[in-house]
Amino acid sequence: MNRARLRKRTAFWLIHLGLLVWLVIALTPPVMLLAASLNRTALFRSPVDLLLLRDFSLENFGAAFVAGDFWFFFTNSLIISTAAVVITLVVCVPLAYGLNKIGDRQRNAVSFGVLAMRFIPYVVLALPMFLIFVQIGLTGSRVGLVLAHLAIHIPFATWMLVGFFATVPRELEEAGIVDGCSPWRLFWNVSLPVVRSGVIALAILVFIISWNEYLFALFLAGAGAQPLTVGITRFLGGAEIGAQYGVIAAYAVLIVAPVIFFALAANRYIVSGMTAGAVKG
Amino acid sequence: MADRRTRFTRGWWFILPGLILMTLIVGVPLVMGLNYSLRQVFLYDFANQPFVGLDNYARALQDPLYINSLRVTAIFTAGCLAICLTFGILIAFLLSAKQVKFRATWLALFLVPFVMTPVVGGIAWRLFIWQQEFGVINHIAGLLNLPQPYWLLDRETALIAAIISNSWQLTPLAILVFYAALTTIPEELFEAGRVDGAGPMQALWHIVLPMLKPHILFVTIIVVTSAFREFDMVWALTGGGPGRATTVLSIFAYNRGISAQDMGMANTVAFTMFIIMATFAWIYITLYRRTEVRE
Repeated sequence: MNRARLRKRTAFWLIHLGLLVWLVIALTPPVMLLAASLNRTALFRSPVDLLLLRDFSLENFGAAFVAGDFWFFFTNSLIISTAAVVITLVVCVPLAYGLNKIGDRQRNAVSFGVLAMRFIPYVVLALPMFLIFVQIGLTGSRVGLVLAHLAIHIPFATWMLVGFFATVPRELEEAGIVDGCSPWRLFWNVSLPVVRSGVIALAILVFIISWNEYLFALFLAGAGAQPLTVGITRFLGGAEIGAQYGVIAAYAVLIVAPVIFFALAANRYIVSGMTAGAVKG
Repeated sequence: MADRRTRFTRGWWFILPGLILMTLIVGVPLVMGLNYSLRQVFLYDFANQPFVGLDNYARALQDPLYINSLRVTAIFTAGCLAICLTFGILIAFLLSAKQVKFRATWLALFLVPFVMTPVVGGIAWRLFIWQQEFGVINHIAGLLNLPQPYWLLDRETALIAAIISNSWQLTPLAILVFYAALTTIPEELFEAGRVDGAGPMQALWHIVLPMLKPHILFVTIIVVTSAFREFDMVWALTGGGPGRATTVLSIFAYNRGISAQDMGMANTVAFTMFIIMATFAWIYITLYRRTEVRE
């Protein structure tokens, strides 16, 4: 009896030790960013000094706003991400709904195409898009970047939403038809409410993907439409990098904070949404 | 029944706008990319695009720098996959133990690296973790009297550092998938194992792993597609250096196209990536169909 209890307790501590170690690994980079952003000079300081805020100051954030031209990049990121989310939802929710309403063979063909598109490496699309945009004058415009983001979002969103719509009970739709719903009302008033939480999860994920996106921005943003991810990499060039560790960290915190906040607040939706996609495979 | 629904609901009216938009946005660049890859296209002489057939492909395959990138990408992808699968399963297994409380909170915190902007993640690792004098790793190594390599400045270690940093970002996804799968394993199965005298390691090996097979396949797909095309993380971390030690294919294509202005070659490199991924996707879809039929 005693030995069994001892073993149970050992197992308990070992499990939590393992989880704790992983938690430290997962959170060290973001925590170091936060710590460095709150110290006056972040270079030539040991991680312990940074974490203890030995040289506490908020001036890095001021510098990031001014030297980093924060609002310009922030505006671009916000507009591009929001537009990408709206268009993705408007286009993909009906698309996924419709896919569950056509013959099996046609649905498999379209689903296959959607799935196949998820495998395309982004650089394969970004290079020709760069050349096409140069020719039609879309380089450096937010419209161009939104279009590029849609190339990522539409296959991803459709693929996830098809899974959600498949969970709508057939009886519910049958009842709708019997009650004389129009095709549009059947979609809007019967099926859509059932998958609402999935759609919210998807909207959040799509926003985060757009907000985090860098490759397409690097190719296509020109000078006018650069989002925050391009804004921060401007600090990385050249020799001055050393002096600006604190400012870079502050800039990074400003970029990541909304995403992490968003993700933690909507954690339940994200987990259930991604799990649904995963279980469906 | 299904027929009546099909006829009534006008599925195609809902599908077509999205399908057309998707085909245009993905299809046009794809076709143009293939077209450019068969031509000589230089940004400084854009009006002239002579058709050269498969010449670019032949040149790429003879280019030691291309072969190097192929090798680097293969190691990078395999390394990320190994770490993600190992730690994904291990952490999910620990998290699903019934002694663990506040699982949702653990899971939410574990997901932070996954939602962090990859470029920012790369910068964080570069400036504060791998940094040779004041980074966290070498600080700890110093306390333990271990060697303190110049992680990102040394050809030997830069790729390892890139693999670890990128896995840090991808593993949460694996944890999430495996955790979700583990919660569906009936408790009786473990109960039966315990009666048969199986310890936690035997349970992991003989009960959990076989149950997770389809999810391992799924995570493999996600991690391989993501790691194979990775650009942001490596670009922020090392920019492809030192030398070409971390020049993965995406970075190689970027360098060729934008820095060297050789868009024909850049599109060729990209298209070889597309071919590799298409082969991989084909294998996956075949396997996936097979498991679906079995179910």
